[in-house]
Amino acid sequence: MPELLLRSLEASTVFLFAALGELVDQRAGVLNVGIEGLMLFGGTLAFITAQTTGSYPLGFLVGFGVGALLGLVHGFFSVTLRGDQVVSGMGLWILSFGLTTYIGNPYTGPLGLPRIPALLGISPFVYLGVVLVVAVWFVLFRTGTGLAIRSVGENPAAADASGIDVARVRYLCVVFGGALAGVSGALYTLSYNPVWNYNFLMGWGFVSLALVFFSMWNPWILLAGSLLFGTMWQLSLAPELVLPGLLSRYVWRAVPFLVTILILAGISTAWFRTRWGLAKPEALGRPYVKG
Amino acid sequence: MRLGDRAFVLERRPTLPGLYGLVTAGVAILLALALASLLFLPGEADPASAYRIVFTYAFTNPYGLVATIHRAIYLLLCTFAFLVPLRAGLWNIGLPGQVYAGALAAFGVPFLLRAHAATAPSLAPGLVVVLMVLAATAAGAGCAGLAGVLRARFQVNEILVTMMLNSALFWLVADFIKEGGALMSATAEGESFVLPPFLQPPTAFGVPFTALIALLAAFGLDVLFARTALGFRIRAFGWSPPAARYAGIDPVRLPLLVFVVGGAFAGLAGYHYFGAVPGLYKIPSNYGYYGDLSFYGIICALIARGTALGAVPVALLFAGLSLGGRFAQGALHLPFGVDYAMLGLLMMTFVVSHVLYDFRLGERLAPRPPVPEVSAERP
Amino acid sequence: MILEARGITKRFPAVLALDRVDLQVRKGEVHAVLGQNGAGKTTLMNILFGLLQPDEGEIWLEGRRVQFRSPHDAIAHGIGMVHQTRRLVPAHTVLENIVLGHPSARGVLDLHSARRSVEALCRRYGIGVDLDARVWQLSEGEKQWVEILKALYGGARILILDEPTSALTPPEVRTLLNALQVLVREQGSTVLLVTHKLPIVLRASDMVTVLRSGRVVAHLKTQTTTEEELVRHMIGRDVSIRASEAAQRPRRPVLEVEGLSAYNDKGVLALRDVSFVLCEGEILGIAGVTGNGQDELAQVLSGLRPAAAGRVRFEGRDITHATPLQRWRVGIGYIPAERTTVGSIPAFSLVENTGLGYHFDPAFTRRGVLDYQGLERITRHILATYDVKAPHPYVSAQHLSGGNLQKLVLGRVLLRRPRLLIAHLPTQGLDVEAAAFVRARILEAKAEGAAILLISEDLDEILSLSDRIAPMYEGRLVAILPRGEADPETVGAMMAGLRPKEAVR
Repeated sequence: MPELLLRSLEASTVFLFAALGELVDQRAGVLNVGIEGLMLFGGTLAFITAQTTGSYPLGFLVGFGVGALLGLVHGFFSVTLRGDQVVSGMGLWILSFGLTTYIGNPYTGPLGLPRIPALLGISPFVYLGVVLVVAVWFVLFRTGTGLAIRSVGENPAAADASGIDVARVRYLCVVFGGALAGVSGALYTLSYNPVWNYNFLMGWGFVSLALVFFSMWNPWILLAGSLLFGTMWQLSLAPELVLPGLLSRYVWRAVPFLVTILILAGISTAWFRTRWGLAKPEALGRPYVKG
Repeated sequence: MRLGDRAFVLERRPTLPGLYGLVTAGVAILLALALASLLFLPGEADPASAYRIVFTYAFTNPYGLVATIHRAIYLLLCTFAFLVPLRAGLWNIGLPGQVYAGALAAFGVPFLLRAHAATAPSLAPGLVVVLMVLAATAAGAGCAGLAGVLRARFQVNEILVTMMLNSALFWLVADFIKEGGALMSATAEGESFVLPPFLQPPTAFGVPFTALIALLAAFGLDVLFARTALGFRIRAFGWSPPAARYAGIDPVRLPLLVFVVGGAFAGLAGYHYFGAVPGLYKIPSNYGYYGDLSFYGIICALIARGTALGAVPVALLFAGLSLGGRFAQGALHLPFGVDYAMLGLLMMTFVVSHVLYDFRLGERLAPRPPVPEVSAERP
Repeated sequence: MILEARGITKRFPAVLALDRVDLQVRKGEVHAVLGQNGAGKTTLMNILFGLLQPDEGEIWLEGRRVQFRSPHDAIAHGIGMVHQTRRLVPAHTVLENIVLGHPSARGVLDLHSARRSVEALCRRYGIGVDLDARVWQLSEGEKQWVEILKALYGGARILILDEPTSALTPPEVRTLLNALQVLVREQGSTVLLVTHKLPIVLRASDMVTVLRSGRVVAHLKTQTTTEEELVRHMIGRDVSIRASEAAQRPRRPVLEVEGLSAYNDKGVLALRDVSFVLCEGEILGIAGVTGNGQDELAQVLSGLRPAAAGRVRFEGRDITHATPLQRWRVGIGYIPAERTTVGSIPAFSLVENTGLGYHFDPAFTRRGVLDYQGLERITRHILATYDVKAPHPYVSAQHLSGGNLQKLVLGRVLLRRPRLLIAHLPTQGLDVEAAAFVRARILEAKAEGAAILLISEDLDEILSLSDRIAPMYEGRLVAILPRGEADPETVGAMMAGLRPKEAVR
């Protein structure tokens, strides 16, 4: 049983990193639906780097860098060109999906490196994740930078008129979000399940996106939500532990996705929506035009 | 961006001439092909001869050509599945899931009628085939409809719902055709039963009747959008849901309708590839590959800028590329995934061409004091 | 001379917004910038505040050449701006809004000392606002005070106010103008007052610069000029602004509203127990500052918002829960306030925009096919009879100016001969000629027997067009006054919340 818990924590960390990055991104008003793509790319290149160089830190660095770079691209399209953010995000996803399948194929299979040592029995990234949550919460709600970020996401015209460089804030946040997504992908391929397979994420990136909506853009609820999702996923992989013999293992793999749909529907009921609607960054997804 | 006393500025084009769209679409494809030639480098031949292999197999080889047409029909149907909701401003990326649903429903019909194991028909085969088609269409429509309802009534993001359904349905198919699932073949593990010969629809020159449906749909959809009141409403909703609501357009029924129509096309695509294409007539163990192929429909629709007829040549081209690419991959011993990479490159170049389409590099006299800035202005 | 602009020129892709504009402002004066909508006033102010960059020209501040690359620079030089449209973050508190972007608000936020400073400011200028309220909860007047506080907190010695009185009730206007006097006389600040309202210019300013079509046409001392002279400069010729019509004897009731209540998007009750009867051939003017339930009233009556309680009857039939489509079909027409996001689709051609009003009409849809040729005919008719300036009917609507777009929407709605017309802010943002045209068409519709509900912030417009006037405040109709009993002071007082007994002198 403790094994299940540990693995759930590790799964949660993957969700947490990606969703936290997207949370900051969305708080600044930029919607990136392509985090799955950034995670795929980050994870794939991190895997390749780690395997060829034997170095974990280098692998994570590459994942970080790739995610940041793709985030920058998304930022360019969304902020400078003021294009449709959904198109850009979808584009990044399909681009990553296609290219990583090709690039990663020769590396299909296990990583072949000794596992990252645990700290007090738990993966070190769990601690890192919690630290990140605290840091994000503090910056967003207790600093002037955070106030600026939230204002840019609510009403960029107000932020602009207050002397804040809206474009710069958005770029910073989208690159941050992208970098975390890349790290999250690296987490998956280097720590959680160190075996490369094409489309190894199987929709986890989109689940992280759902998680951001579900969390009402609050880092603490996000933490709780990612723990919930992580546990749910781990259970789906080993249902015998909870409900032996009930359904085929394939159906169990499908259950978390269906549950996510239910959750999404649930948070859209009128009761939830008035609170949720109030929490949503007003300018999310809308390009800012001066004047 | 300043250069001396001239400033360069990215400006939105004030008007968009139609021919330009054609040109930029062409640029996107050519650019993608150029980039894709890099993919051929690890192989045994240079890009030029690699491309020659790709195109000659896809379009001149008799087997290759027929396979290309089969795939083109599939891509075309997937394109329509994405295109109809797109015109309404909605994203149906649940194409693989709806294809899977369609396949399951289609194969469920002969299974339920006990026709799958028979050697001779007990029911009119034509009737069963029609039922298979209807079931596939309905299943795809139903899945997409779920996303449509959630979006229309509860504003749940349709991208998320359709993506979740993709994964869920992927596993459901596995459940049905693997490890003793209901639709599993009696002789082979991990795939479905093969359709008995009397349930394999007739073909003309190796091309099944679904080709006709696809072509008719291409015409029909363009007529729909250009000429009918319903098409008008879909377009209005796509541009501005508040204005559409104001004009009396139903904000719940319209999204639901476009998703149902889109899903129907995708379900039909599922029937087509698994139930109507000679050589297959089953849900194979690598069904995921066919599901992934459906994403080409997204790019097709985007490159064709939402026109159904315009998507026909694009679908043919992509079908040929992916088939020829697979063939070349085998012939030239390239790493797996050339066609996937091509998918990614096409998406990237589409976005680049989209930028070219909407923007131009404008030049004007810089304001006198040095003010370095890159800005995009509009009236 | 504290602030000077020389030769400011600004081009947008389709229009020359400012043409070699000069401005001279002396320290300690209230300087009005007067002009119609579209004359370039806001563009000029945005340049002075660093939101936009001029293509040519210079800005001189206290004898030194300056350049503002962004509002950040302008604020650092002591310029503050209160914008025409609110530039506040509705979800955040008043204090957070004031502090946003301030140099002291870097790093860890210290809201305590900021609070103390802001409270001191409030005391100095006599402003009373709850610092912990969320901005969306405030009235328009209070929001304006927040913006002024923010500018003062940022150390503004030059305060630019862009159309500050357009969303205020008459009592609030008085308070504002008094505060400006305090600012200028006692604190030595300089005020740039941008407006299109002549009475404000005459009451409050020392000097006035008149802009027309992007050029400066006059630079006058307020004391030595008159309303007529200013109008002549603003428009270039004499135009009578008031249009009055003799009240007709109303006949059958067309619209009966009983106890109507509705919630706004935040879940707050915005419409409370509204009741009235509207007869054919009559105009009922709903007077009030935006934010008192007018949006919700228009939306409920047009079917775009559900009613929480009450009943609406149209020509005897209960339509409380009818859809917008059903309302169009039975003869209710709605001209929405948001003409580019609701009333039209900018990306659509003019013909397609006409289609928004005809796609459900059986005469234009035979067996599902939309009669585009018929739509073109109607569009051409509208272009001709409603004086819409457009090169041809297939140009896309985003190229139309605000006035022309509104005329197009008006034509589309009126051509269907609605028996009930709901006109929501029909002349907002339009220049004088376009506004006069729209009002004339509304009167025409009334003469043909339509019942008209006119919702407007322009008190003059309401007073000159309506047969009966109903001031609206916090979701309620304060009273329904016949034309003869409604004078600006009474109505203005009711708009500010005074009850009928207190308001009538």
